[in-house]
Amino acid sequence: MSSCGAVVGGVSLDHVDVTKQAVIQGVISNSAGPVATGYARLNDANGDFVAEVPLSTRGEFRFFAAPGSWTVVALIPGGTSRTDVTAELGQIADLDITL
Amino acid sequence: MARNEVLVDTEWALVHIDDPKIVFVEVDEDTAAYEANHIRGAVGLNWRTELQDGVRRDIIRKESIEALLSAKGIANDDTVVLYGGNNNWFAAYAYWYLKLYGHQDVRLLDGGRKKWELDGLELVSDPTVRPATTYVATEQDRSLRSFRDDVLNAIGTKNLVDVRSPDEYAGRLLAPAHLPQETSQVAGHVPTAVNIPWSKAANDDGTFKSDDELKALYEGAGVDLGKDTIAYCRIGERSSHTWFVLRELLGIQNVTNYDGSWTEYGSLVDVPVAVGDAPGQA
Repeated sequence: MSSCGAVVGGVSLDHVDVTKQAVIQGVISNSAGPVATGYARLNDANGDFVAEVPLSTRGEFRFFAAPGSWTVVALIPGGTSRTDVTAELGQIADLDITL
Repeated sequence: MARNEVLVDTEWALVHIDDPKIVFVEVDEDTAAYEANHIRGAVGLNWRTELQDGVRRDIIRKESIEALLSAKGIANDDTVVLYGGNNNWFAAYAYWYLKLYGHQDVRLLDGGRKKWELDGLELVSDPTVRPATTYVATEQDRSLRSFRDDVLNAIGTKNLVDVRSPDEYAGRLLAPAHLPQETSQVAGHVPTAVNIPWSKAANDDGTFKSDDELKALYEGAGVDLGKDTIAYCRIGERSSHTWFVLRELLGIQNVTNYDGSWTEYGSLVDVPVAVGDAPGQA
């Protein structure tokens, strides 16, 4: 049984057929560069929580969404931000979020 | 049970961090987070390798939990303070687990690892060594746990609370969106289950909402808290979070966790399934 746990930075795309996924990924930075301590949260179009991952040491995150409108919430010490994004099947939406 | 008997905040943790009879226990999906760093003096529990049977699809047996807790240096009269990632999902699962096996004093650290990190509090990488104990567990308290037949019998008669995200409930996603959407189950929910995502019980920093807000959440969704309630999700840890809210924070006794959850129910042959945003008919 696979866990519901979130992998740091998000699950690797290795061995994942991205043509069947609607991937949302990116990097969260502040003025000093990518943020290693923090979280990326995915909310749906109604603002409801869908998933959250701890950032990798390079500030990276990745989600496997469904086609549609989503919001990525960046949670880092001392700040939060919200970024709207559209996901499509077989596409990778790449975000560069700076707080 | 009063909220302060089951939930502690970071200030309380900082005061009690070096108390030898208070054991902080980090519970994560894997040990990578714990091994990288953890609260000083905390021991780690691995959800996948230490809390699952490994052969049978089940939680570990009484003898195994006794051996595990003994090896971790946890005694029957210790206060166990659980915390972890994923907004305390796995810590809440371990809380339910320890209560299932009769541990008296178990608490959750409000906000878990996330709040601790976002508050910039100290984390260390030194391994924790506690002297081994001789832990004695009780038999499983089945009043805290539901199985698939309990769920089938509850359709249309008891409260079924599906605590997954609205998209998983409706069948638009098969797993939380931090995981690839590939599983063997059908999509949807148990007919008549209402959808109250676990996340509505938590603030952005992972702490629990106030008792008044929590009561309003479940009653506002039409849950008659006077009836028996079964909570489920995909594998039983997010529903442990909701079980903790209903039974431990709000003091509603007749609440169980269906830990088989959607990975089991969605694989059963000849059972009713509802799709879409409505609960569906019995």
